[in-house]
Amino acid sequence: MTYQKPIPLKNIDNAPYWDAADHHELKLQKCSDCSNYNHPPGPGCAKCGSTNLTWENFGGDVEGKVYSYIISYRPFLPGFQNDIPLVIAQVELDNVKDVRIIANIIDCEAKEVEIGKTVKMVWEDITDDRALPQWKIIE
Amino acid sequence: MSKITDRYAIVGVGESERSKNSGVTPLHLALDAAKAAISDAGLAAKDIDGFMSYNENDSCTSHQLATNLGVRPKYVKDILGGGSSTELLIADAISLIESGELNTVLIFRSMNGRSGSRMGGGGWDSNMLQQNIDGGSYIIPYGAASPGQWFGLFATRHMYETGITQEHLGHVCVSFYEYAQRNPKAFFHGKPLTIDDYLNTPHLSYPFTKHDFCLESDEANAIIVTTAERARDCKQKPVYVMGMSSRQCHPHSHYWSDLSQVASDYVAPEVYRSAGVKPEDIDVASIYDCFSWVVLRQLEAFGFAPRGEVGDFVAEGNLRIDGKLPTNTAGGMLSEGYTHGMNNVLEIVRQLRHQYGATDRQVNNCEIGISTGWAGPDIAGAMILRN
Ligand SMILES: [Zn+2]
Repeated sequence: MTYQKPIPLKNIDNAPYWDAADHHELKLQKCSDCSNYNHPPGPGCAKCGSTNLTWENFGGDVEGKVYSYIISYRPFLPGFQNDIPLVIAQVELDNVKDVRIIANIIDCEAKEVEIGKTVKMVWEDITDDRALPQWKIIE
Repeated sequence: MSKITDRYAIVGVGESERSKNSGVTPLHLALDAAKAAISDAGLAAKDIDGFMSYNENDSCTSHQLATNLGVRPKYVKDILGGGSSTELLIADAISLIESGELNTVLIFRSMNGRSGSRMGGGGWDSNMLQQNIDGGSYIIPYGAASPGQWFGLFATRHMYETGITQEHLGHVCVSFYEYAQRNPKAFFHGKPLTIDDYLNTPHLSYPFTKHDFCLESDEANAIIVTTAERARDCKQKPVYVMGMSSRQCHPHSHYWSDLSQVASDYVAPEVYRSAGVKPEDIDVASIYDCFSWVVLRQLEAFGFAPRGEVGDFVAEGNLRIDGKLPTNTAGGMLSEGYTHGMNNVLEIVRQLRHQYGATDRQVNNCEIGISTGWAGPDIAGAMILRN
């Protein structure tokens, strides 16, 4: 069966992030002038306005802690009918404190989710050539 | 105080009928609201030389409204926007009057918010959402497509940090529903809510139940702004603008970095400075209430209770008519109607005029009020009014 949910659309600003995701890696945009990470990526740094931006690869071993979350009991978009309750979490990365990545926590009961839980990034292969980063509770 | 303090006034307010299915276009609703506001002010349509509105591609234009009022305006403006647009356009109207370009401006919001294009209703094209929302590719593929989910991330974290509980959210809802029982035009008139009812309602999107979401309605609202001098010749007691901070932003990237700050935190000091008053001077409030939690977060931002004590502030009944800060006294967007904030502004104007007289709807002796707008954690505004 084909994938029913929205597939991340690549554009001039986010393509390096999603290309890396397709290879099961996390890449973040970083400002060469103020050294802050810039997420979501864009043509200019949200902290200083510099356009001197590069990409840093964090590889495939990414962990973090649940910083906040919501649990959706109704699908707000087509394709999510079988994912209810849907956990959407914002996760603080262990090695980049000022960037938090929003994704679903998969393979978990809604009642397991708590702020502070340790999660690791996993990649769902959603089509032949696309992959979607997700979170999974590891403790 | 600022240069504009007490020099401009809201002189007319009006609304169309409110329903779940108006059966007419937004232009018809806008015309009804505009005529009601013009009549309320004791003006004629030809006295209005500027028309402004905000919309989400779901309304008519200012030009269309003026045409159907038989008026040739000197200025029209339609902006894309939701929460805080009322305050923004009032500020713009004042600026244009101050510059000498205009005399009197009518601002409206008209929408078939229930029968037409629904904010919370879904049915949107996922790819369109990804392309049009900042950082869309980082939320839409995860099913996060509604403000309830986006603001919910702020709410869960804020509740965790400050000790706000589900019951505290419930007290916001219960307080506003109580006002709706006194307002025959409110959607939830005749549908009271107790805290037990609230706590027995399942989550729609944790931490929110259906009661924590604003409702959706078909209606139009209109407001007329002019100079204090012209206001003295109008029919109603003028409600003067003391101060504004009409729209401030916080970088959108904070969804992925900083949940601790919201744009309202920047608005608050500016609006108090502009008006020359403090939180304790405010007698009545219109706090943007697209979600119950948004009220709690703004009560903190605008200094009505210290961080960590906002939950107790609402649980003690302070938003009720006999509380320290009677708020959204027609029922708010949680229980009266929904026009992205303008219905709450109409109500605070009526309160400051003492229009409800000796009835149980009138906040006793209210002289100064605050109206806040919230488009999101990243965009907000406010104004302070007096009678
Ligand atoms: Zn920078």
